[in-house]
Amino acid sequence: MKILVCIKQVPDMESRFKPDSAGGWYSDTDLAFRMNEYDEYAVEQAVQLKEQLGGEPEVVVLSVGPDRVVEALKKALAMGCDRAVQVQDPAAHLKDPWQIASAIAGYAKGENFDLIFTGLQSQDRGSAQVGVTLAEILGFSSVTTIVGFEYADGTATVRRELEGGLKARVQLKTPALVTCQLGLNVPRYPTLPNIMKAKKKEILTLPMADLLHEEARSATVSFYPPPKRSGGIVLEGDVALQVDQLLDILRDKTTVLR
Amino acid sequence: MNFDLSEEQKLIQETARQFASERLAPVAARLDREGDRETFLANLKELAGLGFMGLNVYQAYGGSETGSVAFSLAITEIARACASTAVTVSVNNMVCELIQSVGSEEQKLRYLPRICSGSYPAASFALTEPGAGSDAAALSTRAEADGDGWRLTGTKVFITSAPYAGVFVVWAVTDPAAGKGNGISCFLVEAGTPGLVIGREEVKTGQRASATNEVLLDGCRVPREALLGRLNDGYRIAMSELAGGRIGIGSLALGVGLAAMDFATAYAAQREQFDRKLVEFEALQWMIADSYTELEAARLLLMNAAFRKETGKGFAKEASMAKLFASDAANRACYKAVQMLGGYGYTASYPVERYARDARITSIYEGTNEIQRLIIAREVLRSFI
Repeated sequence: MKILVCIKQVPDMESRFKPDSAGGWYSDTDLAFRMNEYDEYAVEQAVQLKEQLGGEPEVVVLSVGPDRVVEALKKALAMGCDRAVQVQDPAAHLKDPWQIASAIAGYAKGENFDLIFTGLQSQDRGSAQVGVTLAEILGFSSVTTIVGFEYADGTATVRRELEGGLKARVQLKTPALVTCQLGLNVPRYPTLPNIMKAKKKEILTLPMADLLHEEARSATVSFYPPPKRSGGIVLEGDVALQVDQLLDILRDKTTVLR
Repeated sequence: MNFDLSEEQKLIQETARQFASERLAPVAARLDREGDRETFLANLKELAGLGFMGLNVYQAYGGSETGSVAFSLAITEIARACASTAVTVSVNNMVCELIQSVGSEEQKLRYLPRICSGSYPAASFALTEPGAGSDAAALSTRAEADGDGWRLTGTKVFITSAPYAGVFVVWAVTDPAAGKGNGISCFLVEAGTPGLVIGREEVKTGQRASATNEVLLDGCRVPREALLGRLNDGYRIAMSELAGGRIGIGSLALGVGLAAMDFATAYAAQREQFDRKLVEFEALQWMIADSYTELEAARLLLMNAAFRKETGKGFAKEASMAKLFASDAANRACYKAVQMLGGYGYTASYPVERYARDARITSIYEGTNEIQRLIIAREVLRSFI
């Protein structure tokens, strides 16, 4: 069995973001980067499956981006992945989800993966498109937003989150792709000896140009902070009057009373 | 010259930071106030499982082999959340490094995996005595040959982790006729050895979750194999291993100082008086600027000392400089942090009073800062006299 985990390196979400000089994305100077949170669930689930199957499956972890993404790949290797692939692209942030998925598919189609785990979405762009698009290009079955995962004999049984707090149970045959959501598992901390041992694992570097032959289908026009919120409304005066005013506001501007 | 951390060092720092903020920070105030040794030891066990007890120990002995820079980074991150946990981790690492550097193969195979894996909750460094503090060579605990072993008699004080340590490194006089410091040897004494008595636990100002006890050696008999390193070489061993420990204590102080300043600065950025945020007042800006400058200087001194140690260069002077400066900088930062919070800073409703108490010992233990100056002066004067 062969498993692929797709991860993205994103800025620490506590950071102060400002637009870059081109105004199309955030400036990455002075930002600390780490593995996208949802992708940690994906790595953990892949490693748990490998452990469940006695270590037989090979787990490959892949990331698209500049050389700094190697740190995120090494974390995944320290958590238990077997080898890593960096699709090297200093300008990955200018590619749209279609191009990213196409490039990953360009690598994955010759590798015969049985299962692909991705995060539900990235914490920075948040398109939630790369996973499902990759599945479509490869012709894999796919399920998004999974919060439970079991595997036996070529069939994955997953629980996925639906709107309104409902859950669905879905079975899918391999080859399959799932996108992972908070609640699926608790990602392990990489141990220090494993961080050091990860140095010896293979990291293959593939240039983006070798894998990507697709034009972008969407473009980010501009990147800007949301307008500062106004100070809110303060109701004053007679309490009965305030209550009437509040009811009017709730009726007109919200769905609370509908 | 390259100031960047390696990817491995960054991942170790990230792991330490994440563990500290998720597991240690939520319980640190309660451990300081109420003890709760069970939780404290459970956290140590988890840290051992992740490889934090033997950062500089070979993997063959159960260590992590990450180097001294990663050790410094890890201790700083742990101390940002809980100084009591950080000091325990630092001392455990120091004992491991001591055993690795002078121990026999049998001693390394017996003790290092136990400390590194957490099967021993901690390990203790039993040097100080009531009559031998800064003047460590004045110690009077005796080790007398007794058949094919040794009999230890004496009193040790300020022994970190004594109630839960699995093994103690004990210094004792083996040759009373030798000149001062020349007749001392080092022994490994396992917890539970008859005659090893854990005495009174000190009630301390800070780092209260970590136990600090008197340890009595009441005719404590140990086998011949308990001798650690060469006979009568104990004082030199202590002095050289303490230098590595000082990187740990300086790194701990840095973590506490950063925690205090980060909290106080965030507080002052919100709190308003005279219709202005506190951070708009120049008086507070100067506190912030001075503290962060000093803490950054401390960090660079620590990184330099750790890098020299890691690359096999002499580092005693640099470790003393880093410990001296980092602990003083942390104490000044904590003092200012309390000041920035005003009356609230003096209450247990905010963490800065705990940081201030935790920082205070860092200019005292692992060699007082006066002793650090003595070491630094001696090293500097070597090239002049």
